[in-house]
Amino acid sequence: MMRSMNATFSKNRKLLPLAATIILFCLAYGAGALFYPGMRDSQVFFTLFITSPFLLINAVGETLVIISGGIDLSVSGMIALTSTASASLLRGGWNPWLVMLLMLAMGAALGTIMGLLITYMKVQPFIATLAGMWFARGMCYIISDLEVRIYDPTYKLLAGTKLLIPGLADPVTQKGDYVTILVVLSMFVLAAGIFISQYTRFGRTVYSIGGNNGANEVSARLMGLPVNRTKVLVYTFNGICSALAGIAYSIYVGSGHGTHASNGYEMTVIAAVVIGGTMLTGGEGYVFGSLFGVLTTALIQTLIQFNGRLSSWWTSIAIGLLTLFFIGVQSLLVNLNTRQLARRRPGAVPGKQALDRRMVFAYSAGIVVVLVVGALLMPTIQRTFARTFTSATPASSACDLKPLRKDQAAQLMKDGAVITYERNGGLRCVDELYAIYPDGRIVADNGQQKLTKQVAPADVDHLLSDINKLGWFTDDMYTTNHRPCGACFSYATTVSYNGQTKTVEAVDGGTDAPANYWQMSGEVLVVVPQFSTPSE
Amino acid sequence: MKKPRFGFDVRKIVESRLFYPSVTLALILLVDAIFIPGFFHLEIKEGHLFGNLIDVLRNSTPIIILAMGMTLVIATGGVDLSVGAVMAIAASTACIMLNPNLIGVRLADVTREADPTYSASPLWAVFIVPLFIAVICGLWNGALVAYGKIQPMVATLILMIAGRGIAQLVTNAIKIIIYNNTFLQLGNGWVLLLPFALFIAAAVFALAWFITRRSSIGLFIESVGINARSSFYSGIDEKKIKLFAYMFCGFCAGAAGLIAVSSIRTSDANQVGLYSELDAILAVIIGGTVLGSGGRFSLLASVIGALVIQATTTSTLAFGVPASAIIAVKALVVIIVILLYSQQVQDFVRRLATQSRPKESRS
Repeated sequence: MMRSMNATFSKNRKLLPLAATIILFCLAYGAGALFYPGMRDSQVFFTLFITSPFLLINAVGETLVIISGGIDLSVSGMIALTSTASASLLRGGWNPWLVMLLMLAMGAALGTIMGLLITYMKVQPFIATLAGMWFARGMCYIISDLEVRIYDPTYKLLAGTKLLIPGLADPVTQKGDYVTILVVLSMFVLAAGIFISQYTRFGRTVYSIGGNNGANEVSARLMGLPVNRTKVLVYTFNGICSALAGIAYSIYVGSGHGTHASNGYEMTVIAAVVIGGTMLTGGEGYVFGSLFGVLTTALIQTLIQFNGRLSSWWTSIAIGLLTLFFIGVQSLLVNLNTRQLARRRPGAVPGKQALDRRMVFAYSAGIVVVLVVGALLMPTIQRTFARTFTSATPASSACDLKPLRKDQAAQLMKDGAVITYERNGGLRCVDELYAIYPDGRIVADNGQQKLTKQVAPADVDHLLSDINKLGWFTDDMYTTNHRPCGACFSYATTVSYNGQTKTVEAVDGGTDAPANYWQMSGEVLVVVPQFSTPSE
Repeated sequence: MKKPRFGFDVRKIVESRLFYPSVTLALILLVDAIFIPGFFHLEIKEGHLFGNLIDVLRNSTPIIILAMGMTLVIATGGVDLSVGAVMAIAASTACIMLNPNLIGVRLADVTREADPTYSASPLWAVFIVPLFIAVICGLWNGALVAYGKIQPMVATLILMIAGRGIAQLVTNAIKIIIYNNTFLQLGNGWVLLLPFALFIAAAVFALAWFITRRSSIGLFIESVGINARSSFYSGIDEKKIKLFAYMFCGFCAGAAGLIAVSSIRTSDANQVGLYSELDAILAVIIGGTVLGSGGRFSLLASVIGALVIQATTTSTLAFGVPASAIIAVKALVVIIVILLYSQQVQDFVRRLATQSRPKESRS
């Protein structure tokens, strides 16, 4: 019995990290559903996909790079560059499909250049792709210093279209569970990645050159495999994936800017790949596993949002701990492997074996200790800071952040305004409240000065019907509650149209608010008067 | 036996190690001298020296300090990606020790009348405790690498991801403004016409040089980097050496974090030390220490590497490139420098040299 279990275990050893991820994902999801009734809604599961299509696309490309024994840090820069470049091209009136093709070509070109540097000039992958990331991010600011909004109808259509899940949604009322086109795109990329890695000659070469500290690459070369070509192509593939992720990102957030996908996004991608069971040393792993890596990181974010009291930076701590856990699992497996090899080898040193067993024990003990300490600390810290988490709004250093002026907005609505739109926060703690009246009068108030502007009443009607078309009065437009960060804006918008009135609040800087909210925000910001503010 | 070898070493170092970084630095300064009028202009303003060169020196101090620790880590064959995050942790710790009563209190009510002499903890503790915590962070990295046998890039990645979250946990994600004048001297003070931080960098350099070149630790580090296993068999405890290197790197990151937070006056866990791990690694690489395989290192070459990076930044700014776009220029400089160092280019140059010789003899 024990022996057969051991045999199964050692035969499917490579699948173990993947199995661990899937089990952990299911456990975490189950625990979430147990504690937060809101998570039992099946849409929450689909939202995991909806909020991270770009992460999944990136993870697919990164998995192949890591399996080949390299690493690509340029993904976040590529997203920023693609979003900025496509947004400014679209502003210039280019055809959206042509723009997408151009972006893919640009991604492929940059990826190939990095691949060539790494393969033929023997530049460390870490350094070459780091330079790639810096270059891409710097180019964003050369293209445009300010955020460029996307108003292109094709992009809006791609962002706004809902694909209802058969069986879980009612096609007549358009209500129920849904995914977006971007989710389908990311699934397509995932399928392509699985196909390339498992069923093509190229994929097998990728597996053969990674791992074993570069020794596998040498033996693959000796076997006559096209090592150089494969290595370059892996980076080209990841460049295309990054560009695709950038297109998805710009569709999702509806704008392009150099700060998009910042704050260690590339590390999140790598962590997702590692959590998905791919060895960072290369040679082992599955593209399919990265799906669960991405889902797990998205789940952590969702759990923290459902908790409501934990701040968003717990996400990074949790992802760090999870990465540690999976790296521990991986090194445990590597050690088991060497132990088995040592046992099989005649004349193996017994002392060496005992050392390995001790090490395995130390790892497991260490992982358990870290997890237990983490689990013990979480509620304590949470309790200690609970008061401050819930009562005080986080204040920015340079200025005093005021709460949203909800009463004033309600009064304005009572006085006949059809839209009130408040934007609050940012680095300078602006607090702008705009009221749009049906006769085309727009009043803006930032606490210090008042501006008025007159537009045609037809424009207001047009704006209202646009907002209605974005699904303002449907269940897709919902208030997202999470604490605003230092430099973020919080928004509160009330719209009254055809006898319906609804208020939706959101905070930017994250990806949890409905994407159409930012479409609305962009359309409103175009018509309202501008306060003259000093440049940053 | 040591003395004569020491003399020999210095000449060798000047020939092989310091040559390329110095030439790069000289080239950058030459470009500045030609294209930017007044780049080398120095004057005394408000009791201290003032000018672009001083800017380079002043802003490069955190990179220099980080590069000292990073040189040792890279020389052991490792890398430490977490220094930026450790900087943020040290900075947040110092700020919370200076001003703990700001947790949960609306900042605007308290800080506007803040007292420039106020510090909640004794000042020595404000300096020592963050450094201690940074060394603990280094210990964690070193333990994972040396005893956990995890790839250095991966092991330090964990703290890099989690570190900024921890830094925000320390300050409860609130940006704390520093008003304590003594602490502010660290990043903004001037001594003998020069920035005070420069003297700290010099002290850290002296400490690193003393530890590695006046004891056998430097030799051990190089031997571990060249071949960890054979060092182990020749009686060097490679694990302890690695542990030491990462702890020293943590110490340096803590010191750099204190200087950085003192010069920007605000604890912002998302900004302190952002991308500085990359700057530090690049400084070491430009200094000629090989990332990945380790081995021979030169602290002075790493210092020049740090100056190269900062000189690039400052002169790009002086050229009028917007501050946010500087990283694009930096990327190009990095790629060019790395290519110059690469075996391929050096082989190519050698081939050119050997090809040209027979031609000359023919003609």
